[in-house]
Amino acid sequence: MVKGPGRFGFVALLLWASSLVMPPALAAEATLDRGALATALCGDGAAQAKAVEGVLRNSAEATSGDLAWAGTILRALLDRRLACLGESALVLDRAGATDGRDAATGTARPVTGGRSPVLGLRQRALIETASGAASLLTGADVELRRAGLAALERRIATVPEALLLRAASAESDPGLRAGLAAIAQSAALSSVDPARRLAAIRAVSEAPSGAAFSRLSALKADAAYGSDPAFRSALDAALARVERAVSIGNGLAVLYNGLSFASILFMAAAGLAIIFGLMGVINLAQGEFIMIGAYATYGVQEAVRRIAPGWLDAYLLAAIPVAFLTSALVGIAIEALILRHLYRRPLMSLLATWAVSLFLINGVRVAVGSQNLQFAMPPYVSGGVPLYADFVVTWNRLFAIAFAAVTLVLTLVILKRTPLGLDIRAVTQNRDMAACLGIRTRRVDRLAFGFGSGLAGLAGVALCPIYSVNPGMGANFVIDSFMVVVLGGVGTVVGTLVAALGIGGANVLIEPLYGAVAAKVIVLAGIILFLQRRPEGLFAVRRRR
Amino acid sequence: MSALVIDSLEVVFGAFRALDGLSLAVDPGEVRAVIGPNGAGKTTLLDAITGIARPRSGRILLGDGRDLTQASEAEIARAGVRRKFQKPSVFPALTVRENLGLGCGPDCPARERPVRLARALAETGLEARASVPAGALAHGEKQWLEIGMVLASEPRVLLLDEPVAGLSDDETARTAELIGALRRPDRAILVIEHDMAFVEAVADRVTVLHEGRTLFEGAMAGARADARVIDVFLGR
Amino acid sequence: MSGALDLSPGIPAARRRGLILGGDPLLAGLVGLVLAAALGLVLLPPAPYLVNMIGQLAAFAILAVSLDLVWGYLGILSLGHGLFFAIGGYVCAMHLLAHAYVVTGTAPDLMQFMGWKSLPVYWTGLTSAPYALALALGLAAAVAFVFGLASFRSRVNGVYFSIISQALVYVAMLLMFRNDTGLGGNNGMTGFSLLFGWPMGSPGVVTGLAVATLLSLAAVLVGARALVASPLGRRMLACRDDEARLRTLGYGTTRLKLGIWCLSAAIAALAGLLYVPQVGIINPRVLSPDLSIEIAVWVAIGGMGRLGGAVIGAIAVNALKFWLSAAMPEAWPFILSGLVLVVVLGLPNGLLDLATLRLKPNWLQRAGPQP
Repeated sequence: MVKGPGRFGFVALLLWASSLVMPPALAAEATLDRGALATALCGDGAAQAKAVEGVLRNSAEATSGDLAWAGTILRALLDRRLACLGESALVLDRAGATDGRDAATGTARPVTGGRSPVLGLRQRALIETASGAASLLTGADVELRRAGLAALERRIATVPEALLLRAASAESDPGLRAGLAAIAQSAALSSVDPARRLAAIRAVSEAPSGAAFSRLSALKADAAYGSDPAFRSALDAALARVERAVSIGNGLAVLYNGLSFASILFMAAAGLAIIFGLMGVINLAQGEFIMIGAYATYGVQEAVRRIAPGWLDAYLLAAIPVAFLTSALVGIAIEALILRHLYRRPLMSLLATWAVSLFLINGVRVAVGSQNLQFAMPPYVSGGVPLYADFVVTWNRLFAIAFAAVTLVLTLVILKRTPLGLDIRAVTQNRDMAACLGIRTRRVDRLAFGFGSGLAGLAGVALCPIYSVNPGMGANFVIDSFMVVVLGGVGTVVGTLVAALGIGGANVLIEPLYGAVAAKVIVLAGIILFLQRRPEGLFAVRRRR
Repeated sequence: MSALVIDSLEVVFGAFRALDGLSLAVDPGEVRAVIGPNGAGKTTLLDAITGIARPRSGRILLGDGRDLTQASEAEIARAGVRRKFQKPSVFPALTVRENLGLGCGPDCPARERPVRLARALAETGLEARASVPAGALAHGEKQWLEIGMVLASEPRVLLLDEPVAGLSDDETARTAELIGALRRPDRAILVIEHDMAFVEAVADRVTVLHEGRTLFEGAMAGARADARVIDVFLGR
Repeated sequence: MSGALDLSPGIPAARRRGLILGGDPLLAGLVGLVLAAALGLVLLPPAPYLVNMIGQLAAFAILAVSLDLVWGYLGILSLGHGLFFAIGGYVCAMHLLAHAYVVTGTAPDLMQFMGWKSLPVYWTGLTSAPYALALALGLAAAVAFVFGLASFRSRVNGVYFSIISQALVYVAMLLMFRNDTGLGGNNGMTGFSLLFGWPMGSPGVVTGLAVATLLSLAAVLVGARALVASPLGRRMLACRDDEARLRTLGYGTTRLKLGIWCLSAAIAALAGLLYVPQVGIINPRVLSPDLSIEIAVWVAIGGMGRLGGAVIGAIAVNALKFWLSAAMPEAWPFILSGLVLVVVLGLPNGLLDLATLRLKPNWLQRAGPQP
């Protein structure tokens, strides 16, 4: 997950900063006098400091070649690999080597008679910063650039704004770019120039996040907060703005999480509702069909890893049909072996499906083990897009939501547009009449049971990237999905959808306010109260008694 | 004064208007038949009277002015309205005698109970089966047991839901006889039926329902002659 | 009760009036056995662990009978009866801790754990055993009343009722897992030291508890038999088989169901009350939905709709569980699920089918109201 300020905020910051801190005179690329720098580094502390400060000041404008060169020589100086021979400096491969290359010309020369320049504490710090600037701007890989940035951060006050901007515009790694933006912000916030600070406060408040809030809050301790009314009012306004945005963002995040939870619930409950409407059977093993779907997904992952490791990222998609079919087949087998005999005794079918669930949980526990399964996260389910404040649209949850949406559409199409769907609806509304019309109700039952179980299997695929997968995982969803069926009404997909959204939403909405337990208590009490008004659920299919 | 008054009754299921402002009055001692094609609202009418279906508007009144519109099923039954269901519905785990005992209802005086039980057993010819669990009875015996349960309560209003559906001609004739025997001056009987010949044999008047409304009310002969009734039944 | 049904006059009057157990020889035998076991424990006490086990089994049998009353005779399958059992258990545990606190001055663990100076207000009075007994039964009945009223009034029944009752016990479990309930949270309550001033675990107390549980079981069985053999029992069966029909005969079924449901809850609480001092601990795991389903499994295995079946089922399954979960813990879940499937599919009346080897006609196999 991407942390820190959003991309949009960062762009805004760049625009602002570039207009603010780039005097026209410096915009032209300055060239570096390599010889002078080498000489100065071999000189006394004052000369060293002056030269390195120059490098740092001009780092935003210097050519990459010069910077890389300066980085090499400064690094060498820090590592005691620089030898001074009169006016020229030699860079050694390692400390104490007998040969080196002339820093300015690159020709190889013996070190004989050379001396190592003395480095004071202040100079060392300066050189570390300048060297960091060079690696940040010219480092070949992310790690080098990150190390360079870390060096700059230690003495951020001495780092020119333009350097950070240049680094940010050139940076390709998003994480590092976000880090750069944050540092540029703090640099501006602690600037001595009041106008710059005010502008920085405004800019920070335009990219609201929890981090921005704490960064701004820290400024309340600043002396200017007490003495400068303009500063104070600007900061208070910015804080209020950020706080509101952050709470909106958090609200969005809660809704988003609720939506993804509801998606899983919907997939688990849709099958339950169809089966219950059709046969009056509640399948207590529905949670275990979810678990089977998740384990089938794991199986597909392992198979792909072995057979075609290059295609590993695609396993989640490949698992969709596999999980559906696995759960559906297990469901059909259970229907054929057990439930078929129990349609006239729905309460006994509760016990029978509980026994099945007990069997499946312990079967998987013995066969695979009870630890959580490890899943590889393909790019399309890892990370996300920061959308507003701290609200990040994470791909794994979006995957589940999209998945549920597709499932919803497919379920509706199958129920409304296919012969099987017509049969299911007919048998749900009037079993005897449907049988009289020549519908093979037992076959419809079996296929519908398979379909409902398969839907639970799909839920298993969708939750792999979000929740932990172990033999007992079904218990986390099953009671909530029963409540969805009770609330939504029997045999109605739309009712199931609305109820899943309601219960999923209520759970995540109440949770942050009163805790997870209170959420469950309130939801259950709400359902029981609701049943006082509508005992048949939200959208009951009307049946002739 | 009528024994049962239905006043502009409206029963709605979702978008479907099962009864659409139906009015009906049955006199004490009368046998009234309600006929009509499938979906005309006949069963819904019985459901509404017995409290199973809730009307949206309109009223259901007994002869003594008691309003049954919002009463529960149990209250309606205790007010003296009994229904014989189309499918024989007896309690399989209880004996014939226990079923009849429940049929007397909760308000039956304890002293009267043995008398009523004995009479119901005699009238239905189930004396020899009194201690047999009802679940073990033959289909026909269950029908009789259910009639016995209704009789044991001595209802003021008796509702019969398709009493001859699926019966042979012989059995239909016997049932017609039975209904004749059930007639009492203080009892109104409402029969729902498809079988025209049967209706003609038992009913004093008929009410023809169509799409939740009264299409015709009067003697059976009049119904046979009515053009609209013919339209509806022949489905032109 | 006014308007009582006439009990079958075909049966000799002596059998009708005198012996409630006369109509059910199996149950009569079981009650005799339970009383004999109680006497045996007093006269020839076996090893304390065995005494303790017998006592626990008897508590489970009471619990099973409470469920059979509503399921087997009224067609209401509760998958949340663990809630009422737990109410009894928790109240009993509170009483034991409060009693020991008063007598010995040792504060209960949960007070130290939460850093409380005194017990929460709802512990008031629990040092009194009669109050604890009344609270346990009354609270269970009250909770059952509220839940039952809401459900029965809106005609929630069958499978719907079952899964909502399951959600109820699940929510209760989550609630009790919290530490701030003042009832021990996750750890529950344990470390009971005194019962009526006597040290827990002493042979006398162990035997006393087991005997008390056995006698309670016998009393519950006789009482339940009296109930189901009464006119009210006839109505229960009628309600089980066709509730809508019973209503159209003039009987208000909500009151009937509510009354029996609350009675059943109180009996389950009694079982919990007797069980907890014998195991020495209560924690929220008693409220797990699986345990509540297991109660129904005992009844189904023993034979629902027969009080004797519930007793046999509870004792057989739990004895097997005591033995197997020690001997081969891995295999127990498989054996239990296999047992359930065999009984549900092959023996509609449970183990009693095996005992009588008599095929019941279809009408007795109906498990409950059809949805």
